Amino acid sequence: MKNGISILLSRIATPTRVGPRDFIIVAVLAAVAFAVPYFAGTYQQEVGFRILQLGALAAAWNIAAGYTGLVSLGSAAFFGIGVYTMAIASNAGLPIALCVVLAALVAGLFALIVSPALFRLRGLYFTVGTLALAEAMRIFVVNSPWFGGQAGIYLTARAPKAYDLYWIALLIAVFVVVCVLLLLRSRWSYRMQAVRDDEDVASQLGVRTYRTKLWAFGLSGALIAIVGSIQALNQGIVQPNGGFGMSWTIDIVSVAIIGGMGTKVGPWVGAVFIVLLGEFLIQFPEIHLAVVGVVLVLVIRFMPNGIWGTLTLALQKNRNFS
Amino acid sequence: MTAVLQLESITKSYGGVRALDSLSLEVAPGEVLGVIGPNGAGKSTLIGVIGGALTPNSGTVTFDGRDISKLSSADRARLGIGRTYQIPRPFTRMTVADNVRLAATNSGHHISQRELEPFVAGILERLGLTPFAEEVAGKLPLLRRKRLELARALALKPRVLLLDEIGAGLVRAETEELIAIIQSLRTEVESMVLIEHVMDVISQCCDRTAVLDFGKMVTIDETPKVLADPVVASLYLGSVAESADTVVVDEEKRAGIRASLTSLVSVATSVPGTPLLTVDDIWVRYGGLNALKGVSLSVNAGECIALLGANGAGKTTMARSLAGAVPLTSGTISFAGKSIAGLRPDEVTALGIAQCMEGRKIFGTLSIEENLIAGGLDARKHVKAERLEAVYSIFPILKQRRKNSGTALSGGQQQMLAIGRALMSAPTLLVFDEISLGLSPIAVDEVYEALGAIRDSGVAMIVVEQSVDRALGLADRAMVLGQGEITLEGKPAELLADARLLSSYLG
Repeated sequence: MKNGISILLSRIATPTRVGPRDFIIVAVLAAVAFAVPYFAGTYQQEVGFRILQLGALAAAWNIAAGYTGLVSLGSAAFFGIGVYTMAIASNAGLPIALCVVLAALVAGLFALIVSPALFRLRGLYFTVGTLALAEAMRIFVVNSPWFGGQAGIYLTARAPKAYDLYWIALLIAVFVVVCVLLLLRSRWSYRMQAVRDDEDVASQLGVRTYRTKLWAFGLSGALIAIVGSIQALNQGIVQPNGGFGMSWTIDIVSVAIIGGMGTKVGPWVGAVFIVLLGEFLIQFPEIHLAVVGVVLVLVIRFMPNGIWGTLTLALQKNRNFS
Repeated sequence: MTAVLQLESITKSYGGVRALDSLSLEVAPGEVLGVIGPNGAGKSTLIGVIGGALTPNSGTVTFDGRDISKLSSADRARLGIGRTYQIPRPFTRMTVADNVRLAATNSGHHISQRELEPFVAGILERLGLTPFAEEVAGKLPLLRRKRLELARALALKPRVLLLDEIGAGLVRAETEELIAIIQSLRTEVESMVLIEHVMDVISQCCDRTAVLDFGKMVTIDETPKVLADPVVASLYLGSVAESADTVVVDEEKRAGIRASLTSLVSVATSVPGTPLLTVDDIWVRYGGLNALKGVSLSVNAGECIALLGANGAGKTTMARSLAGAVPLTSGTISFAGKSIAGLRPDEVTALGIAQCMEGRKIFGTLSIEENLIAGGLDARKHVKAERLEAVYSIFPILKQRRKNSGTALSGGQQQMLAIGRALMSAPTLLVFDEISLGLSPIAVDEVYEALGAIRDSGVAMIVVEQSVDRALGLADRAMVLGQGEITLEGKPAELLADARLLSSYLG
């Protein structure tokens, strides 16, 4: 088997240039989404929260994996850091907004600490390394005396209402989108893609590859931690198997791949698809995961650019023909 | 006048092979320095060491009076050292313009957002890439990829430009275009180092030329003097004086080897009128490049064919297409009466064609003995043991070190291992691809002595070589490939007398 990750990466489409139009579209969509709680019930708000949460996670993961080629299976480590930072900091009496910022900072610091070891690994080895790291973090939290062990930590803060959570998630989702768009407009976008396509050549053209990877990996991790910190508010209790659970990593990867890795819109399309599919199959939890798995396999086999990547490529072809 | 770039006793080894052997070199300001030498002489390693992609085992690199040996390649690029790759390596999923923008925004020179676009547009215009600016770089054909390599290196605003074989694989008109571009660069780039096989580029662009062989400097002087030097011609063609018949042959050893070989090769019974292998009008296309353009040849049972040609002529593609390792675009290959086009490499090997691949391809994680066994996995156990003993009696050094890792051998010994491994399948036809590559003259002698014995055993052979005199000393018939086509064909003696042979190497 040729390195599966390199095959997956080799199929990523070239991102289109980011212009003012993108920001306008985001503003319009955000305005529409903002209005949802005024005419939708609690159930719809919860589904909306889940879509925004998974979309933001996948979009954040996409910064490292899709644009920089750092395909990480360690998202759960960053997510868990966000979850636990919120629990500990808010229980210590810090304001919620500050806790969210703190979650991002701790995650960024964590990326800085683990990068010397992780960045020695490339390709598939990097991926496996991040997977091991996330598991190590989970086991560390279970066994160390500071984080409440298996039982976890209860949040003393009052649980927010469904619509509050929805609006917080929307705010964070918009923040992630704007981060991605600004990044794609900046010179970092070339550096990240160059490192993804050929790290050695990038270095020979003056790109400080280590710095570029750290920036992408750290930003991606910090954004994932921010989403994680909100999940702590949502749950009211944080536990190692929930916060640092593999299921987050797997959800993120499936959403990004099904939607389209290395595209701006793909993660959001994937999130809508996965969440709605889950709601549709809610009566049949036993086949839910199997269906998601089959869809993932089919997408990788037949739509290697994901739903969105395949759509845009098809549209481009039509444009060329007309 | 101090040198812009100075290399002092640089040594770089890979395993047992010394790619650069205490090499010292200076590049003066305003100078264009050519570097030539046969395959495996260490030319690309030299560029890697200057650019910072490779760390030498010893020696220092000084740039503009400053020791840069410890700097990363990114920092060297920012200081003003730009390079291109022999095989272009564009960022395949970025657009052509983004490839150039990347270099422009990461050079040591600050460039504002307002200056960036005109700067990038200017470079694209200059290299004729403007119409393709928004195309994905991975879709470009070879010539445009080569131009993009140059465009990216220029976007760094380099003081020294290192160009690795930008002429390879191009047709004459394209080469002339490149020469014009290189000459136009002289005013803005302080110095250049050009590695080339295409002699037109060297003779028209370079002030001085250095000749490397086995990682050592053979000579360095003004270009016309170097190109007229008989030593240089003999490096490419070998000196005909020490051809095979002057080598002292140990008759007893020969007889032993001959006996061993009988269990290792299958001698095809020659059917009059039908060759063992027939290749009919094969084309092989990679990306936008035609590597083979309608090659036809045939090999009779027991015959030894030499396949010659300069770098990039299509020799290795030819060998690989016989192995089933590259898909044919069109044409047919038949072996012992069966068509083998479209078969997998293992199926081809099972039919009796064994490959001794370029670069030896020894399994480093396996021991020498395991490497040999891997060459004949299909055989029954006692047959395998018998063949193993036979290989050991031909190459006793392999037996002595049979438990060692396959890569813990010198280059020549690794080549013997590769030959032994090819013999383990008891083939009817053996294909040897560049077996003298990167070997010392003594090692080449040893390897070719074994090859002579293998030929005498009556097995059919195709010897793909850059080292002309060796291959011609062995072969019954020879052909020369040039840019994917057979340009010359004949008996070894006729070819050696033909002036066109030298010109197919030196241009």
